[in-house]
Amino acid sequence: MRKKQISDETLNRILKYLAIIILGFGVILLAIQFKSFWDWILNAIKAVIIPVALAYFGALIIFPIIKYLEKKGVGPRGFSLGIVFVFTVGLIFAAFYFFTPLLVTEIKNFFTDDFPIIVDYINNDLREEFILGTDLYDRIFAYINETNVIADAVDSFFPRLITSLSSSLIPLLTAFALLPILLIFYLNDYEVISENIRTIIPPKHEKNVAELTSRLNQTVGAYLRGQLILMIVLGAVATIVYKLIGLKYYFFFGFLVGVTNIIPYFGLIIAAVPPIVYTFIATSGPGPLLVLIVNVVLQFFEGNIFQPLIMSHQLSIHPIVIIISILFFGSLFGTLGVIFASPMAASIRVIYKFFKDLRAEKLKNNMAEATGP
Amino acid sequence: MIKSSRPKIYSKYEINSIVFYGTMFLFIPLVLVFTYVFDVEYKFDMNIFYLILGITTATMTFIGTIILFIKRDYLKRQVRANYMSEFYYLVIISIFGILGFIVLYNYLGGSPKYLGNTFIMLLVVFIYILLSLGRKYFNVNYRRKK
Repeated sequence: MRKKQISDETLNRILKYLAIIILGFGVILLAIQFKSFWDWILNAIKAVIIPVALAYFGALIIFPIIKYLEKKGVGPRGFSLGIVFVFTVGLIFAAFYFFTPLLVTEIKNFFTDDFPIIVDYINNDLREEFILGTDLYDRIFAYINETNVIADAVDSFFPRLITSLSSSLIPLLTAFALLPILLIFYLNDYEVISENIRTIIPPKHEKNVAELTSRLNQTVGAYLRGQLILMIVLGAVATIVYKLIGLKYYFFFGFLVGVTNIIPYFGLIIAAVPPIVYTFIATSGPGPLLVLIVNVVLQFFEGNIFQPLIMSHQLSIHPIVIIISILFFGSLFGTLGVIFASPMAASIRVIYKFFKDLRAEKLKNNMAEATGP
Repeated sequence: MIKSSRPKIYSKYEINSIVFYGTMFLFIPLVLVFTYVFDVEYKFDMNIFYLILGITTATMTFIGTIILFIKRDYLKRQVRANYMSEFYYLVIISIFGILGFIVLYNYLGGSPKYLGNTFIMLLVVFIYILLSLGRKYFNVNYRRKK
């Protein structure tokens, strides 16, 4: 039987792809040779992107309020922007003014009242109550004493923490200091900036890009607004319920629920661990089972009532996609990547859906042209 | 006679009335639930606090009723296919309202032993009321596809 010959066209295509792949590898190899140069460029880009992205996300949350005020006749733009800005700053200051003393008092009380008890428990009572038996506990303790593993870890942890804080704190502080200024200018000239960005795009693609931007703004804006409301509602509910069941540091643990809820799926689980561990060790207050039940009920409410109601189904992303995006963006951008993993995943989904719709529309048009008179 | 499957659409007047009277009904528990975090019971005389809250609620209900009455014709002409955002608002204030009733129960000296039972009973009642209101007035489709 004769073997099927490869056509010139296929061979050309294979050679073209091979050349592209080899060229790609060549470019990567060349880029690796100048790593320090690329790091320098990437750091500069990162320093610009973080405050700009934060301003963009902030604008997506605040702009609808300004639009609403303008619709109600509160204008011009400077006036409505001023009202929203003063209100937001006031709200932030009020939150700091009322909640910081509560938080500080609870943290102080923890270190004066409960921390010595916890240390004492680990040194004395933990051996008797160790779930895997006293024998294994002694072995683990002997290993820790022999190898100095904890002391070494602590010794290496603090210098590393100081280095990472000093390297990330300054860009973060700069970003937060720049944020209000960037936000004011961005919100004041929102339409002008969007229009100017649109002029860069070739006229052929202008319509598509405008449609994609509008979809992205709508989705990411709805997601961010929903997430913010969800954090406040869940944090408040958790604080009240924790106080009702008599948990000592109810405000701190409730605050933790609100803050960690920024990470979808894992947030509530992370927030549940400290109060459960605390109730295991604490001599008074509710038992760990009650705290666990409260957290399970909260998780149920979050997943079945708050999330569908506040975020609505249009933003539903599969949990696996969210987990993958948290891992991916977390490794790329650190803490900010973990926080913004979901809106980024939502944006990717919108882009994918947009191109899918575009392709379907093109196919439909082609079919109509082919079957037309 | 064949019954129409199409749900009746209510005007903004009915919806605003439900939302307003719902808020007023839950106003005292809502205030209590947020003040509970700041330990008001140790800072104020609770009886005076209840009295002030009661008077405020009554005054607000009175003013709101008058405004609703004045704007009745205008609101009756405004109709939407569904009232999702109003329903979300009602659900969220109901959740805090339930917690507020628990706080009230606590303030009034109810036994902490029955806190869970009271919560579940209130939750069932509220869920039933919300589901019925949502279906009948707010046109909420609970079985929407993901």
